[in-house]
Amino acid sequence: MSVNAWIIVGDQPTVGNLVTVARSLGGTVGAVVAGPRSVAEIVASSGVDKVVWCNAPDDVPAEANATALADAVAADPPRVVLAGRNPGERVLLGAAAARLKAAVLTGARSVAVEGDGVVVVNAVFGDIADETVAVSGPVALLLDGGSAPSGDGASVPIEEVSAPPLGVRVVETRTHGFDQVDLNAAHRVIGVGRGLKSKEDLALIEALAVAVGAEIACTRPVAEGLNWMGKDRYIGSSGARIAPQLYLAIGVSGQLQHMVGVTGAETIVAINSDPNAAVFKETDHGLVGDLYQLVPAITAALK
Amino acid sequence: MKIVVAYKWTRDPEEASARPDGTVDWSRAKPGLSTYDPVAIEVARQLAAETGAELIGVTVGDKGVGTPLACKAALGRGLDRVVTVEDGSLADAGRSELAAVLAEVIKHIGDVDLVVTGDSSMDVAAKMVPTVLAGELGWPAVAEVTSVTGKAGELRVGREIPGGAQVLEISGPAVLATSADAAAPRVPGMKDLLAAGKKPVEHLDLAALKVSPQNAVMTVTGRSLPERKVRKGQLIDTADPAQAADELLTALRQAGAL
Ligand SMILES: Cc1cc2nc3c(=O)[nH]c(=O)nc-3n(C[C@H](O)[C@H](O)[C@H](O)COP(=O)(O)OP(=O)(O)OC[C@H]3O[C@@H](n4cnc5c(N)ncnc54)[C@H](O)[C@@H]3O)c2cc1C
Ligand SMILES: Nc1ncnc2c1ncn2[C@@H]1O[C@H](COP(=O)(O)O)[C@@H](O)[C@H]1O
Repeated sequence: MSVNAWIIVGDQPTVGNLVTVARSLGGTVGAVVAGPRSVAEIVASSGVDKVVWCNAPDDVPAEANATALADAVAADPPRVVLAGRNPGERVLLGAAAARLKAAVLTGARSVAVEGDGVVVVNAVFGDIADETVAVSGPVALLLDGGSAPSGDGASVPIEEVSAPPLGVRVVETRTHGFDQVDLNAAHRVIGVGRGLKSKEDLALIEALAVAVGAEIACTRPVAEGLNWMGKDRYIGSSGARIAPQLYLAIGVSGQLQHMVGVTGAETIVAINSDPNAAVFKETDHGLVGDLYQLVPAITAALK
Repeated sequence: MKIVVAYKWTRDPEEASARPDGTVDWSRAKPGLSTYDPVAIEVARQLAAETGAELIGVTVGDKGVGTPLACKAALGRGLDRVVTVEDGSLADAGRSELAAVLAEVIKHIGDVDLVVTGDSSMDVAAKMVPTVLAGELGWPAVAEVTSVTGKAGELRVGREIPGGAQVLEISGPAVLATSADAAAPRVPGMKDLLAAGKKPVEHLDLAALKVSPQNAVMTVTGRSLPERKVRKGQLIDTADPAQAADELLTALRQAGAL
């Protein structure tokens, strides 16, 4: 058995993983792009069979094309719709799922076609357990998008549909000024939690990061709330999931939603002043103590 | 203007544990307002205060979501009234089913201008109920919303995008999912909770809502524990930081981590 799939794309052509998963289902693979034409052109070379692009005015966000996108998907209804985890793609996937009356799963570890159903191994409740779910009928999956295609593969033609946009316009766009980072590319990562008392104290962590050769990441509240770093630096169930050689958690309590982001790490080290912190249940080497004493000591020992 | 806040009454997986057979033991978990939904209520409350809008809380789910305890927890945060759909059959409902029921409730309320939701629910954390809900209603949805000003038909919405932020203008009804840090939720005081007990609560019957059925049926055919690396769990004595540092580096070099 094989099933057809649609990949849903917004502002970013980061579809590598989506194409791989869709291809593994054996049927045709289409992509609908609600973002700019330039994104559709890159996606056309990603190994899909066809591309539909929603042509809308320049000042509307991809989300404003949700209805047009759902129409395009429903015109050739698939068994599987896939989208990456960006906010825009989530909105577009929701519109497609509502139109298809499809099941929605967001924790897929694997997707397979078995008999006339699609079988998904789906992580649930902060990844504390896995469920094998057999879905009869259409299913919408939110997955890690993967990387963008290099753009030099063979291209398929782009079909255009006109998209009368829902009433949303972009009136201002600005960048936040934080350095962008690809945490997945780092071999060693230091994760900073609220145990750090002030933003200035990040200097301590930066010195250690240079000495170890690590990228700096954080917990969700450090990026969202304290705003000490960009949101692409936080690790966990709603953030990045990484599998570096070394993860060094500093002043991190180790709540479930954070730790699921590092279960793939080869070695985990934690520094925390609270001996009962949950983080110590999931570490290879634990240091109970004050980060303000231990971090400089480790930095010094590396020199 | 009518603003609906969709909030979830649920449990925290931090208080649950998975058994060896992959089933989840929730017996120690106390139900409560989903972590980020008070942020949604606060964002909507501030907009309602500026515009004089009516602020209506909506929740749908399993037995318990319509109890006085649950309704008061939501009302105490500043909602004018709540509408609930409490039905045992929703215990295992998927995101699409919940969104479809929410859409019918919103149609039942009528003339709703805006739906505000939390970022993600504390148990499932799918970030998808608001987006499927918007699809059901044929409205636009925007996620990672950090601010909302203006009034119905002329909303200005601040939202985060990867690498930055945008301001949007929205001319019709919409579903807005707030970012986790869009507002600092107020902790309700004794007075708020007392007032909450007197606010109107409407319980709707699921069958009467005539929710159109899903095209997909999900059947759980197996459960298991995720494979996890076995951690060494070694504690390093930190009485002397310099010595602790040396010990750590030796261990990391042995493990090939440095
Ligand atoms: C639906 C949902 C999704 C979520 N998603 C994520 C996610 O993706 N990623 C994420 O990170 N979180 C997420 N969270 C939040 C998560 O539950 C935790 O609240 C968060 O990870 C805690 O961050 P923290 O460890 O920095 O802060 P805290 O929990 O406040 O911990 C700070 C730690 O620092 C220690 N400390 C204090 N002073 C010192 C010192 N001088 N030296 C050493 N240690 C010190 C303390 O003992 C404490 O353990 C989510 C929550 C929900 C409900
Ligand atoms: N059963 C529900 N009833 C009302 N609102 C809900 C329900 N489930 C989810 N929501 C809303 O949708 C948001 C995201 O939930 P989720 O998609 O489960 O992560 C929550 O923060 C709530 O605002």
